[in-house]
Amino acid sequence: MSGQTAIRIEHLGKRFGAGPVVLDDVNLDVAAGEFVCLLGASGCGKSTLLNLIAGLDQPTTGSITTPSEGAAVMFQESALMPWLTAAQNVELALRLRRVARGERRAQALELLATVNLADASAKRPHELSGGMRQRVALARALAQDRPVLLMDEPFAALDAITRDLLHEELERVWRLTGRTIVFVTHNVREAARLGQRIVLLSSRPGRVAGEWRIDAAEGRRIESPEVAALSLEITAELRKEIRRNAA
Amino acid sequence: MPHDTSLLDPPGARGTAPAAAPSAHDDLRALEAGLDRLQTDADERPGPWKVFTRSVLPPILFVIALIVAWQLYIVIAQPRPDIVPGPLDVAAALGQAWESGRLQTAVATSLERGLLGFVIAVAVGTPLGLLLAEVKPLRRAVGPIISGLQVLPSVAWVPAAILWFGLSDATVYFVVLMGAIPSIVNGLIAGVEQVPPQLRRVGTVLGAGPWRLATLVVLPAALPGYVAGLKQGWAFSWRSLMAAEIITTGGMIGFGLGSMLNQSRELADISAVLATILVILAIGILIELVFFAPLERRMLRRRGLLQGASR
Repeated sequence: MSGQTAIRIEHLGKRFGAGPVVLDDVNLDVAAGEFVCLLGASGCGKSTLLNLIAGLDQPTTGSITTPSEGAAVMFQESALMPWLTAAQNVELALRLRRVARGERRAQALELLATVNLADASAKRPHELSGGMRQRVALARALAQDRPVLLMDEPFAALDAITRDLLHEELERVWRLTGRTIVFVTHNVREAARLGQRIVLLSSRPGRVAGEWRIDAAEGRRIESPEVAALSLEITAELRKEIRRNAA
Repeated sequence: MPHDTSLLDPPGARGTAPAAAPSAHDDLRALEAGLDRLQTDADERPGPWKVFTRSVLPPILFVIALIVAWQLYIVIAQPRPDIVPGPLDVAAALGQAWESGRLQTAVATSLERGLLGFVIAVAVGTPLGLLLAEVKPLRRAVGPIISGLQVLPSVAWVPAAILWFGLSDATVYFVVLMGAIPSIVNGLIAGVEQVPPQLRRVGTVLGAGPWRLATLVVLPAALPGYVAGLKQGWAFSWRSLMAAEIITTGGMIGFGLGSMLNQSRELADISAVLATILVILAIGILIELVFFAPLERRMLRRRGLLQGASR
């Protein structure tokens, strides 16, 4: 692991009230600037884990250490404010970060340009396609200017072509900004395409069931042979975890 | 599947050579721009002629048809003019009321009361609605009563108001407020309840405290419900006003449209009664058309909730 640790999760456990244990003894370190994919089947508590890291929820046991600046979060739905334009949505994040009024506009346009949406700044969410909305949401998350970016299946609702482009876009933005990214997905190929490290969570309760590190540099694609090979390997492991639940 | 890569892979981008990076970015930019273009259509607004033929012309034609049918009935059935007057009689009664100045006074008095009462109702109802929407225990206690008040016809308050305030304008305003405030409060509560929880979560994630969450996220998100409540509030205040004016006459109370209606009834002047009813109706429609309809349409179009405006 290179550099210092951005997120440290130790012996983390979570259960809601008297319900079943959702997360059990999860240990995970994420280095600053690392791109980690959390992978798992339904019910593995990956979204719960993300909410815990984001501070939207409190752990039952164990501890989570995150940078004091906090984390930006991106959800599966873009959750843009429908009454604001693309630029105003980004400006809202800047405003809530208490950026001076005079600087917001220029910064928002710059952030939209980062996700190739400079021309759509005056459009409202309903005028944008799903992929464009997620890019505005990405620009908004970047506007928070936090070292950690948490993403909860942000591309799950998009068509394959758009998703493919957004993978490229996200990778480019990640390299450009040096953010630490924790990306939750149930799509094995997506994880193998994007992550530097893939963490497989088992289901009920969620535990770390496996880890893969990918050394390949830039230029990985969803159809690259190394991605396909890794996907096969991870899928086999994932199925084993799912099968355990049949008994 | 090596044959697939040629579609998205620019030559030379694979090798991660620094020189190739800008071209890969340009390529991605072009791809995204193309896809964005494919996945969105221009938001077309109907032209003025289309607006005229689609939404202005049909109601006008219908009203003309109604008047023609009315006149035809008068000509063919020849009913007693003191029971069923023709359109011309009603128009004449209207002209008479205008010439004597009663119509102008009545319209001015009623409009002033209606609008002022409505503004007060908004000023009282908005903070009250916000308070009830955000403070759950309070809403559980007060909510059902407010909903109940909405069902209670506000005319029922007239006798009580006369006993409390006598035959003064305070009686009229009291009845108007009792009619309008519950609608506005309920509209705002409904609007806040329909705010998607996702938006609140985003607001929290973006770092908004309770105050800024309410003003920057919840209130704007609740605007459609609030405007619907305002619209209904106006309708209720106009109705309550007319009821109050019909029942309470004399004393220090000014001469409104309701008073004019009541006066015409006492004179058994059916033409004047019908003329006054038409004026009351016309004012209600006019306020809706010039104020609420554009406000609502603009708000819904901005949010992509208007049919035909969204993809």
